Amino acid sequence: MEPTKSIQAHQTSKKARELRQKWPLLMIPTAIIFALLLWESASRWSGLPAFILPSPATVFHRSVRAIQDGTLFRHTLATLIEVLGGLTLGMISAIILGYSLAKSRTVERFLSPYIVASQSIPIVAIAPLLVIWFGPGWLSKIMISALIVFFPILINTIVGIRSVPEDLRDLMRSLRATRWQVFSQLEVPAAMPVLLGGLKVGATLSVIGAVVGELVGASEGLGFLINIGRGVYDTTLVYTAVIALVALAMFLFSLVVLLERYLLAWQDTGNAKL
Amino acid sequence: MKKKFHIPFVLMIVLLTTNAACTNPQSQQTQGPNLDHVHITMGYRPDIQFSPLYVTIDEGFAEQEGIEIEITHLPETEAVQLVGVDELQFAIVSGEQVLLARAQGLPIVYVMAWWQDYPVAVAAPKGSGIDTPSDFEGKRIGIPGLYGASYIGLQALLTSGNLTEDDVQLDVIGYTQVEALSQGLEEAVVVYANNEPIQLSKLGISVDLVRVADYVHLASNGLITNEKTLRENPDLVRRMVAAFRRGLVTTIDDPQHALEVSKGYVDGLDAADQNVQLGILETSIEFWKSENVGYSDKSAWENMQQVLLNMGLLGAPLDLNQAYTNEYVE
Repeated sequence: MEPTKSIQAHQTSKKARELRQKWPLLMIPTAIIFALLLWESASRWSGLPAFILPSPATVFHRSVRAIQDGTLFRHTLATLIEVLGGLTLGMISAIILGYSLAKSRTVERFLSPYIVASQSIPIVAIAPLLVIWFGPGWLSKIMISALIVFFPILINTIVGIRSVPEDLRDLMRSLRATRWQVFSQLEVPAAMPVLLGGLKVGATLSVIGAVVGELVGASEGLGFLINIGRGVYDTTLVYTAVIALVALAMFLFSLVVLLERYLLAWQDTGNAKL
Repeated sequence: MKKKFHIPFVLMIVLLTTNAACTNPQSQQTQGPNLDHVHITMGYRPDIQFSPLYVTIDEGFAEQEGIEIEITHLPETEAVQLVGVDELQFAIVSGEQVLLARAQGLPIVYVMAWWQDYPVAVAAPKGSGIDTPSDFEGKRIGIPGLYGASYIGLQALLTSGNLTEDDVQLDVIGYTQVEALSQGLEEAVVVYANNEPIQLSKLGISVDLVRVADYVHLASNGLITNEKTLRENPDLVRRMVAAFRRGLVTTIDDPQHALEVSKGYVDGLDAADQNVQLGILETSIEFWKSENVGYSDKSAWENMQQVLLNMGLLGAPLDLNQAYTNEYVE
């Protein structure tokens, strides 16, 4: 093969490889555009009036107005604070309890009926009670959010800790490792992938928890904004708040993905992209 | 080949679900012989307060007008939207909902006033010194939400007392007013005068009420339909109003009988405290009584519109003649 042709072939294959690498990234905007087109088509041809199904353009204009007058930022910030509070509280308590359950079958057998039973109670049913117990402010929303986050992180903590291979524990023991060393250098790194999987689920659920609390009784937050929109038949405001909630959940999910990439950099990150 | 299959498959699912969602539920109902089957929606759940409608059905007033009524329960805003798109023909909603909905282009019309006065009130423990709207100043008041009838009623009271929302501490507590007041978490709570005070009384807590009805006359709960039904089937509306008015008058005249009838429609009512339930009904009846039952007062609508304009919930005045009519209350 002539050198020029060889260089050209090499460049072509390089471009093709780059395109193949970028293609998955293009899928995200493609999916968004597809969804917008579908929404626009439905609003035009479904025959439903704008107060039931407004067009994307109408919702966009309402969103711009809510951003300009500061409404959207104020309520998103309120929900974000509640979500972060609930996620932190739920995560810490789930990890501590999950570790204890993973290490002790006795503790697990004693507590698991209560934990499982607590998950069968719809959060919507007890949300009004939590508002009475913890007051109408942000604390009740944080508690609701923490409750909804708790279970998936707890389960993943137990699974993660128990998935540590026994022969590695034996190896640590043979090297006379202390309990702390086994915990910090074996159990935590080994359980981290599963734990972060639970945190991904928890991050999105925490948004639902906070909003459930806001829908029951609140004076700020995106759930409150949805109630206001419903109350005055401003469907575009309801859509605006819902889109902000989706964005908030995706933002939190992305944060966990970034955290995962950072903490699991030592691993093959091929599986950690979602 | 597989990829080619996915797109039409997904489109088919979307079309099928859209079609299912757009199907009118009325078309799925079986109609009785020579009876017009209509859906009427109201409130969250069956309740003694809806007894006039139960009486309308049970006493055969609807059937005599050639109507078969099916009751559904939905939140007010959803009910208004379903009537607006003609998925439902009738609903019971509050006056302010009619104006708010029409301002957003929903073609609904209020055709019969059920409640002659607004039932919202502020309740405070007896002897607490909260007897008039001006006494609210500096007080901690619990309210279900910053929207809906409770919020509008409170705003009307604040205006009557020359106060604004900034003069009180408002706590949004959901529908936990009884617990909040009985536990001393709030100094006062926004309630429905015909409901929570009776529940509080049962718990041994006497309250003083500051009723919206004593300060301003506002359009309250009534029967709505949509412009399409009025245009295409005014006779149905006339018959529906006539039947419902008979049910309402019968309930006002004999609450004990209405309570007995309601037991067939409200699960658990026969096991509930009969005195409390009768008390709720009799207090409600005080809001329903009128020389001309079902008639809408123009001043009530003008006042309601002014309250909504003051609150900024309406951007501009509406044509009230399109929002309500007394034409069918004859």
